[in-house]
Amino acid sequence: MTENRFASALLAPGGLWLLLLFVVPLGFLLALSFGYTDDLGEAIYSTRLDNYERLVDPDFLPVLFRSVGFALATVAICLLIGYPVAYYIAIFGGRWKAVLLALVVLPFFVNYLIRTYAWIAMLGDDGLVNGVLDSSIRFVNTPYAVIGGLVYGFLTFMILPIYASLDRMDPSLIEAGKDLYGGRWQTFRHVTLPHTMQGVLAGSVLVFLPAVGDFVAASLLGGPEEVMIGNLIQQQFQASDNWPFGAALTIAMMAFLMIFMLFYLRAAAREAREATA
Amino acid sequence: MSTVESRSASTAPPATGPEVRRAPAKRPKDFDRPRFLKVYMGLFFLLLFAPIALVVLFSFNSSRSLQDFQGFSLRWYETFFETESLRDSLVASLQIALVTMLIATILGTMLAYGLVRARTRLSSSFNVLMLVPLVTPEIVAGVSALLLFTQIGLDLSLTTIILAHITFSISYVTVVVRARLASINREVEDAAMDLGATRFQTFRLVTLPALWPAVLAAGLLVFALSFDDFVLSFFTTGESPQPLPVRIWTQIRFGVRPTINAIGTFMLVVSVVTIGLALLLPRLLGRRESGLKVLLGREGA
Repeated sequence: MTENRFASALLAPGGLWLLLLFVVPLGFLLALSFGYTDDLGEAIYSTRLDNYERLVDPDFLPVLFRSVGFALATVAICLLIGYPVAYYIAIFGGRWKAVLLALVVLPFFVNYLIRTYAWIAMLGDDGLVNGVLDSSIRFVNTPYAVIGGLVYGFLTFMILPIYASLDRMDPSLIEAGKDLYGGRWQTFRHVTLPHTMQGVLAGSVLVFLPAVGDFVAASLLGGPEEVMIGNLIQQQFQASDNWPFGAALTIAMMAFLMIFMLFYLRAAAREAREATA
Repeated sequence: MSTVESRSASTAPPATGPEVRRAPAKRPKDFDRPRFLKVYMGLFFLLLFAPIALVVLFSFNSSRSLQDFQGFSLRWYETFFETESLRDSLVASLQIALVTMLIATILGTMLAYGLVRARTRLSSSFNVLMLVPLVTPEIVAGVSALLLFTQIGLDLSLTTIILAHITFSISYVTVVVRARLASINREVEDAAMDLGATRFQTFRLVTLPALWPAVLAAGLLVFALSFDDFVLSFFTTGESPQPLPVRIWTQIRFGVRPTINAIGTFMLVVSVVTIGLALLLPRLLGRRESGLKVLLGREGA
């Protein structure tokens, strides 16, 4: 057997699995998004556009804008918090690099629900902070709480790619910047930041994608004013039981996110080529 | 004597300003480490771990309160392990994670080998197919899996959860194993073939042993991800037993309950042990490399 045949044979099972359990279901979803629910509440496949017309309904349009707004705010805050952390570990980490990285990754492996719940326990109406301060500050059920929950949930995705790009960068570049009388800030702006732009963009996409589709943070940390598209989708598939509309919401979200996914996939493919070259 | 002195004096660099003499005394990396960045890192880790520490601490609280700690007790752990339905959920979660790990690791490793070594026109499409699940919001995967299962008439159960989990875990395995595979020296494989080994023997006796750290680390990663997963399970779960995260969701929606602290702490321990094992694995296998590098796919070629 030639190597090519052997390798191609190994491609088959995993590829087939992804085709049948990932691509085919998305096809079902696309088909159902043109359907409707009959009087008995049964989802019927059809060729109507009603569900997509409903997306621009004043009931739903603000939810879509809010989801993108919350996700963008999350990306910005993750970037502000995460960049210095990645910078410190990559440049000054020394022999503690691995430990510091592990510490950054560790919370990511604490269940997302538990992490969100931990913030409720801290900042809830009768949580620890209000108990200690003997106050009744309202943290939960505000947009800030939802964005905070999203930041806490996805921060790791920002730090790791930025760290990777900083780690790849030649540290003598920074020294060169300083030798050329660049101040700390000038060196950062003209040397470090441009060299790590790839990591910044990758991290931003990796945070943006799950943040847009999230429904946990808004469910647990937000009130009715903080509903996101993920919550709408979840409702359609459960409580309101309108699967065709839920399918349209999901497909519309995927279509919007596709631009960002393609950007990321191209970057990932380029990196893989560089790695194997 | 005097000539030696004079010679050494002549070869010594001319004495200059204090800047030159000061330079070697400092550690090179320290020369501009801003103090505020250190303080910032301290604050960052404090905020990162404070909520988790709170959950762990209050899981041992003897009272229901989440505001003051009234004494050490294991009562919430007793409630957790003595409630039959919660115990069933724990077992279900472990079963799901274990089966997902086994199947996804095998499929993902094969896919990685195929992607690196196969030269077919399909390779790049397979590559995209493998990467897309990694950047798809979980809710999309959840509802589409739910739709598929109802369309083909598959009752929601542990099986449907496992099917959904495997679909999303294959890509993680492939990414980790592929990075490793790309760094393996091809000539060793060629040498094995020259010595008369068949393609399969070469794979089993040469390639696979070199891949082991990555394969096992990826498997443990998948175990942790599956054990912790909420969104996919939420959409594909049957009535009972439901995996632990789905139970936690229901409980949180009913309000903050002290049992959640105990369940959360227990899950944390399982995840940390699993990931810790993945990080230490190369060392345990007697290799001198860090598990973090294997997982991030950046070990030296």
